[in-house]
Amino acid sequence: MASSIARGGEDEGEDEEFEGFDDFTIASSWERFISEIEAVCRLWLFDGPKNLVDKGAECLDHPKNLYKVKSELKYGGKDYCLEFYFMINKDGQATEWVDNLHNIQQSFGVNEFLVIAPLSASGVVLDSPESSKLLSAVAIALSNCGSNWPAFVPVHDPSRKAYIGIQSTGTIFTRRFDADRIGSQVPVRLMHMEGLYELFVAKFASFDYPMNYFKVSFGMKLTYRTPPFDDDEEDVLENVEAEVKESEEVNDGYDRIKVQWDDDCPWAEWYSAEDPIKGFELITIWPRNTCESSMEMAELENASSFDAEKWSLYPLISPNMIDDSDGKFIGFASQLRLLVGALERSFDAKFLEDFVSAENIGSDNSNPAVVIPPPTVRDRVLKELFHDGAQISSSLDLESKNSRAIKGAPLESLFAQFCLQSLWFGNCNVRAIATLWIEFVREVRWCWEESQPLPRMPSDLDIDLSSCLIHQKLHLLAICIKKKNLLNHENHTSVEITGQSSDDKGLAEFDRNEILDLPQNESMVDEFDSDSPDSEGTTGNLTVDAECAVASPDAHKSCPIRKGSSGIVGNMMLLHSFQKMHAPYTQDAPVMTEDMHEERLHAAEVCGDAFSTSGQLERDILSSDMSAFKAANPDAVFEDFIRWHSPGDWESEEIEDRSTGNKEDPDQCNWPPRGKLSQRMSEHGNSWRKIWNDSPALPASEQKPLFDPIREGEKVLHYLETLQPHHLLEQMVCSAFKVSADTLNQTSFGNLQLMKTKLNQLYITLASSLRPLRANRTHDKYELIGDLRRLCLVFENIEKLLIFVSSLHRKLRDAPRLTEAIFNDYFNYYLPKMGNSSASICFDKKFSNKQQVSMLERDVVANLFPPPTANQSWRKVLSMGNLLNGHEPILREIIFSVAHRVGDCHYGSNIPWTHTEEIETHRMYIRGTSNDLQVALSVTSWD
Amino acid sequence: MDSASSQPEFDYLFKLLLIGDSGVGKSSLLLRFTSDSFEDLSPTIGVDFKVKMVTMGCKRLKLAIWDTAGQERFRTLTSSYYRGAQGVIMVYDVTRRDTFTNLSDVWAKEIDLYSTNQDCIKMLVGNKVDKESERVVTKKEGIDFARQYGCLFLECSAKTRVNVEQCFEELVLKILDTPSLLAEGSSGLKKNIFKQKPPAAADASTSSCC
Repeated sequence: MASSIARGGEDEGEDEEFEGFDDFTIASSWERFISEIEAVCRLWLFDGPKNLVDKGAECLDHPKNLYKVKSELKYGGKDYCLEFYFMINKDGQATEWVDNLHNIQQSFGVNEFLVIAPLSASGVVLDSPESSKLLSAVAIALSNCGSNWPAFVPVHDPSRKAYIGIQSTGTIFTRRFDADRIGSQVPVRLMHMEGLYELFVAKFASFDYPMNYFKVSFGMKLTYRTPPFDDDEEDVLENVEAEVKESEEVNDGYDRIKVQWDDDCPWAEWYSAEDPIKGFELITIWPRNTCESSMEMAELENASSFDAEKWSLYPLISPNMIDDSDGKFIGFASQLRLLVGALERSFDAKFLEDFVSAENIGSDNSNPAVVIPPPTVRDRVLKELFHDGAQISSSLDLESKNSRAIKGAPLESLFAQFCLQSLWFGNCNVRAIATLWIEFVREVRWCWEESQPLPRMPSDLDIDLSSCLIHQKLHLLAICIKKKNLLNHENHTSVEITGQSSDDKGLAEFDRNEILDLPQNESMVDEFDSDSPDSEGTTGNLTVDAECAVASPDAHKSCPIRKGSSGIVGNMMLLHSFQKMHAPYTQDAPVMTEDMHEERLHAAEVCGDAFSTSGQLERDILSSDMSAFKAANPDAVFEDFIRWHSPGDWESEEIEDRSTGNKEDPDQCNWPPRGKLSQRMSEHGNSWRKIWNDSPALPASEQKPLFDPIREGEKVLHYLETLQPHHLLEQMVCSAFKVSADTLNQTSFGNLQLMKTKLNQLYITLASSLRPLRANRTHDKYELIGDLRRLCLVFENIEKLLIFVSSLHRKLRDAPRLTEAIFNDYFNYYLPKMGNSSASICFDKKFSNKQQVSMLERDVVANLFPPPTANQSWRKVLSMGNLLNGHEPILREIIFSVAHRVGDCHYGSNIPWTHTEEIETHRMYIRGTSNDLQVALSVTSWD
Repeated sequence: MDSASSQPEFDYLFKLLLIGDSGVGKSSLLLRFTSDSFEDLSPTIGVDFKVKMVTMGCKRLKLAIWDTAGQERFRTLTSSYYRGAQGVIMVYDVTRRDTFTNLSDVWAKEIDLYSTNQDCIKMLVGNKVDKESERVVTKKEGIDFARQYGCLFLECSAKTRVNVEQCFEELVLKILDTPSLLAEGSSGLKKNIFKQKPPAAADASTSSCC
């Protein structure tokens, strides 16, 4: 036999049966059936779990580690399927309430088992003689192989999940199994612990034992489900969303009764997400205990859930969270995908107007893909952009470094908001975007013509070159508008100026530059006089007089009026006249956007390599500074300018501590300052000196401006008005990705490191994937669009995770450890999807990882079960007991068992009881709700 | 530049930037490197720009080196020169401590703020080591700074030529070692290859030019 088995292992055991059973002629068909079963079982026995897995046993996802092999058999004109279920890597003995056990394992407390069932539609044996015959066949076959596997046959109709089964234990004992279910109208008695206890006791007490001779041991597991978080809302969610988009203004009038769960989440401004967590299930497991009477059992129904030994929790995830099919998830990711589609189409036309005009590019308005929302919607969007909450908060600090690596507009800025609005404008098709953009630019031009400040734009002079070009241009325009306004003010009013400059701190310097010219000149003389006492402090009148005496005549000699001074420079004295050095107001360096810088650099490159080719612009600036300095210090020489402008090139011969100790020193000691120009400055033909000689003394306000706001402003508008469609869309895609991520990034989710890491990774991925868009080169369009679509998928995964985590966080805010543990579980569960960004994979596994709740966290979890309102409790019929905060368990599982000493007495001898062992004679598994009861009984007997 | 032609005159174009306080010798370093001469130069006004072709291994490189003015007044304009630079050389004068301390106080921050290239290679250069007797910044201090900011470090002298060549060479080698920088600097023809698979880029280029 051994040899035949060994061979059978190799070649599927084809010939084995012939060797083992060489005479079939007299065997009945039933005997042949048995031998067939035996052959199959021997094969399985011989292979053992590991080999079976290697040979392709089917893994059953749901109960972990459970595998199945099957074989089809024929008997009496019917086909049967014999299935063997086994576990792999099973560590030790099964504990009672292991997660995810197979129904049969749970019901009968077995590990591996056989099931034989007919291959019919119902899959059960309806005829009871047939079922017992089948079972006996398997039992005989198994005992022939010496196997102790339990075997089961499904009986009755499938909904009853009824089985009968048998197991030989290798001794004289045999276990018999029987399970059945009541699907409705559960007798009241059996809804309660007391009745269930009696049901169990009745199975054995009636015949062999007196009632009080035994102790029933039992364990219990109660499953609770939180009431739904958004009760009726989920059904109408989509409708609500659509309505909100269409008729927000109308809706605003009413107070919407329902509040969306994510109302205070950062994305709520744009969309409302379905709550990914539909609820929680809490599993409480009670320790094994013994019970002697039904009274005791009845009392247990009132025990507090806090007495349970173990609590574990898991969230019920909305199926939409893992459904990738298009349109299932509405969020930034879905709109970004539409925007990428718009980018793809944007290459089709040269001008944005082409998309709008009716006769072009299949612009059939009946096609939903290219519908342009009605003007009313467009006007509302523009109104929101330009008139609501006009000023930008300096949100630069909020942005992470990673975010800045993406070339887009800052979150609060005008263009960023335009992009966000576009995402939700109609279905974000290229025609809708073109319409909105044209109106947007019109609005921007209006601001320019009317000299109205651009809303949502920063007022500082630093254009952030890492932002996208449109944002830079708008920033430049905002600056131009401001400068233009100041020019106008200057021309019309000269009185209000001082007031204005003092109340706008950000503009102070700028204002003075542009405004404080002529009117200021009169006061300059006062300032000049009052300078000395201020800085001199207590030195007394003598010095003041002395200084005035020396200084004033000098000043009047060369240049009657000092112009455009912004104040003295520390204690620095001019070289050739006994006067303090004044720093001039200088013109701001011209503000430039990226493309202007590039043009300059390009020009410099073209002008070439010739030595000392310095930018003309820089020369102009230097010359302007020199002129201003000359005007502010009429008696200054070139050296003075260098001392102020490039102190490194002035080699002072005075002792170092001069600059620190000079507050107390009388000024005379420092005059005239001793020192010389650096070698390089004093060379013959030094270009600085040349420029100095050529620069007239002119205060900044009288110089030709380095920057012409009118011209630059018009240029910006020209750029905006003639922007090519794909240039617009490219920048929109970058900005939209960036600000969508920025918006999501504001979500609060506690201190979940994993989520933070993922968000950072998202930023890095975005930055690198969007980089091809920033270079102004032609790129492979199809490759680009493909990349961007994949990016949308990556974005969607992170967005969904974030929504999940946000929902989880707000529900379990006070249990951060638990939040993190659940999130990590969920992440691992979700992970297979993330790796697969190109195609959605089949993902039918249900998330069911349970996390144990520690003692300290129980209160938080119990709070997930708010006591029902009067209304709710009236509606519900509570019938089972074991309430948690007034909530009935959705499932109560109980395992009763009773052990009995058995000894050799059954063989007739009289060996004392002490030498006997205790075996579990009866075990009953009960799984019940208020209208469903499943009972499985296993009895060990020695018949 | 002339990426349109079928055979560009170089394999890579790298943009390098010289920054540091006024008078530390940025222009002199550049002059020494590009034309191997040394003279007293007028202080740079705003910015200066030079091109040098070098060959490293089998790669022809075009280096566009931007030399900026150290004066504070020009700093607002300088910001634009950081854009797209693959390498930034921070220069200080070993005989003037303030030029060294300003690197951390001013210049390193400027790089962080304006550099558009996260991987951009930074190099710290202590110039004027010919004036050993006047030295106030020790080599160790330089090394410590470089370690802290993650830079390459070298001391050199534009006047005596010591280490000038090496300084640029090392910087360029490091850039050649960095795939993302390499991808940016590659001449037009190879652009697409690099875009697709950055790690494979180095191999592709080696095989194509050897």
